[in-house]
Amino acid sequence: MKNLPPLVPDPVIEAYKKDVDRTLLRENLKLPMEERLTRMYKFMREMDSFRGSARRSPGR
Amino acid sequence: MTPDIPAILKLLASAGVEFVLVGGVAGIAHGSSLSTRDIDVVYRRTPDNIRRLAEALKPYHPYLRGAPAGLPFQWDATTVERGLNFTLDTDLGPIDLLGEILGGGLYEDIRPSSDLSQTFGVTCRVLDLPTLIRVKRAAGRPKDFEGIAILEALLEERQATELKRPDPVRSDDDSTT
Repeated sequence: MKNLPPLVPDPVIEAYKKDVDRTLLRENLKLPMEERLTRMYKFMREMDSFRGSARRSPGR
Repeated sequence: MTPDIPAILKLLASAGVEFVLVGGVAGIAHGSSLSTRDIDVVYRRTPDNIRRLAEALKPYHPYLRGAPAGLPFQWDATTVERGLNFTLDTDLGPIDLLGEILGGGLYEDIRPSSDLSQTFGVTCRVLDLPTLIRVKRAAGRPKDFEGIAILEALLEERQATELKRPDPVRSDDDSTT
């Protein structure tokens, strides 16, 4: 799959790109891969925990 | 359930499974800020590798994701050989085992477009960023548009950083003068 032609910009993707938070990406790029994966894994675990709490809350 | 990314990568790599990390987790590995609900790997479809893969996952009770409970689904090398792509729930979280991916092909096709990475104490292959973008584009799923935009922005940021980085050869020359 090497030596493929460069990616041609897709207008739909370009429209989405305007909303991308690049400061977050720049911060991520400073981290080693393991740290990126660990941070995202912890974040997703916390989100699971929040969802579980919300489901168990008496107001629902 | 969130996939236990460290445990899954350690499990597959330590079992000697030949695979390339693709999908959302590969995006995160490259710096994407988009979370994902599963881990996608393209595995090599050789008998030995299929056996290693089946044996490694067996203790974690793989079962077809979304399928009703109680189906006579048996997880072993024969099942993997008879199928191709498996979306599984396991005790380690959701895992997508892909024999082939749209826009990428088989393990052998995408391996040259992957990088060896040291992470969580093991070495694993991660699909490189330009190929990850191509594969996601080829899938053409509207739900991927935001993810593709993030990956393309990442590629641009990375290229901009590389352009700004001083030329190491020139730096050495400067230090001697």
